[in-house]
Amino acid sequence: MEYNNEQPLIMHVDLNSAFATIEQQARPLLRGRPVAVVNRRTVHTTIVTASYEAKALGVKVGMRFIEAARLVPGLVAIESDPAKYRFVYRKLMAILNDYSSDAVMKSIDEGVVDFHHLRIHRPLIEIGYEIKRRLCDEIGVAMRCNVGIGPNRFLAKTAAGLHKPDGLDVIDATNLRAIYKTLKLTDLTGIAGAMEHRLNAVGVYTPIEFLDSSRLVLEKIVFKSICGRQWYDRLRGFEVDGQVSDTKTIGRQYVLEKRSLKHQEIMARLHNLCESVGFRLRSQNKVARGVYIYARTDNHKYWHASRMYQLPFYSDATINCLAQQLFFNAPSGIREIGMRCYVLSDNDDNQLSLFNDQLMREQQLVYAIDAINQRFGDRKIHSADTLDTGEIIKQKIPFGSTRYL
Amino acid sequence: MDDELFLNEQIKVVAIFGEGLNPCRPLKFKRTSGREVLVTEIGLRHPSMQGKRMLHVFDVTDGMADYRIELDAERLVWHLTREADHGI
Repeated sequence: MEYNNEQPLIMHVDLNSAFATIEQQARPLLRGRPVAVVNRRTVHTTIVTASYEAKALGVKVGMRFIEAARLVPGLVAIESDPAKYRFVYRKLMAILNDYSSDAVMKSIDEGVVDFHHLRIHRPLIEIGYEIKRRLCDEIGVAMRCNVGIGPNRFLAKTAAGLHKPDGLDVIDATNLRAIYKTLKLTDLTGIAGAMEHRLNAVGVYTPIEFLDSSRLVLEKIVFKSICGRQWYDRLRGFEVDGQVSDTKTIGRQYVLEKRSLKHQEIMARLHNLCESVGFRLRSQNKVARGVYIYARTDNHKYWHASRMYQLPFYSDATINCLAQQLFFNAPSGIREIGMRCYVLSDNDDNQLSLFNDQLMREQQLVYAIDAINQRFGDRKIHSADTLDTGEIIKQKIPFGSTRYL
Repeated sequence: MDDELFLNEQIKVVAIFGEGLNPCRPLKFKRTSGREVLVTEIGLRHPSMQGKRMLHVFDVTDGMADYRIELDAERLVWHLTREADHGI
């Protein structure tokens, strides 16, 4: 099969080390210094984002701060500030929307602009440099981004990762092979540990070998699914990632701040997560029929439980009640808990129920509480059970999804 | 990690209102101790909602320390909420 020869019309814009760069923009004294953004003000926390200065000295995302600080003595830790990042996200989204109505934010720090169906009177490279300049003009001088241009989303993203920070690259049918020759398998978005092993097992060790693999091998031997065919097309620049998927689950997780918490204290934190998930569920106008909870223990064991219910639910009280029932069998020595609601559907079921009065009362109460919290701020009304947990379990930036931004 | 002070100090601010990227530009502020801080750069201005109440959050510096000052758009009062020298 030939490569996609069409003019590259997809642009991928990626903020460089987004949270760290935004902090360096906001706090001028941090510019040029190694900075690590963390979710908690403790040395045992892990690093969410590191500035380029920190990365150059060996600091990696996911590293514990205490280890990174040993490596880089002057490393500055900054607690993440979701409101600030949401502001930059909206600014970037507004800039991208100026160029095409088909601009989508893929996550809090990256967006994709599709220029198909548009008459463009100037090169996309020029638009890319303009977006970079506007980012500096409209947010601040320290803001930088990578821009990648390609015939599909995959190649545009790959192009955006070629020259960090502040790069702008184009991948099309003419240079595709040459670019793949410079990359490792794991440089390709979507290829990490397990997937790399799969490919290695059939003798594919480089992107070029991946590109030259036959469709049959990918479909029948490596992936054993339609994914093989998708990879075959994706690598050649044909679009397979354009569809938007529905929300399938809504959940939250929390790493316990101490190992010595009593069972009741863990239950209170689980209740807090249930309230947060309930609010997200209702804000998406969804109802759920399933609850899944899990716990990780100190000895790296993973415990989970789930249950499906006949009737849909959406209130915090119901979600919490179901989660607490499941949590009854949880093991001891827990260090992380999480829960999610699944089997989601739109909340448009107006079927009459035998218990209509009771359900209506619950609905009115839940929506009244949501309205008060929206008017006066998060968690102004919440369960007394979670009274002490609000300051501990703070809202953090959800990676990978822009649904709650 | 502990180089940042969290404050809730009402301050007096001299600011100019105009247009452009930062329509409101704080120039200097006076702390309760009487010390005046001259703003040399506005790093970022972002809105923050407290329910439906809008706060305008300004991250500013005087070259010696970074400060966060907040304008409550409903009550029209300024507060200094953070101060950090980042170990300089």
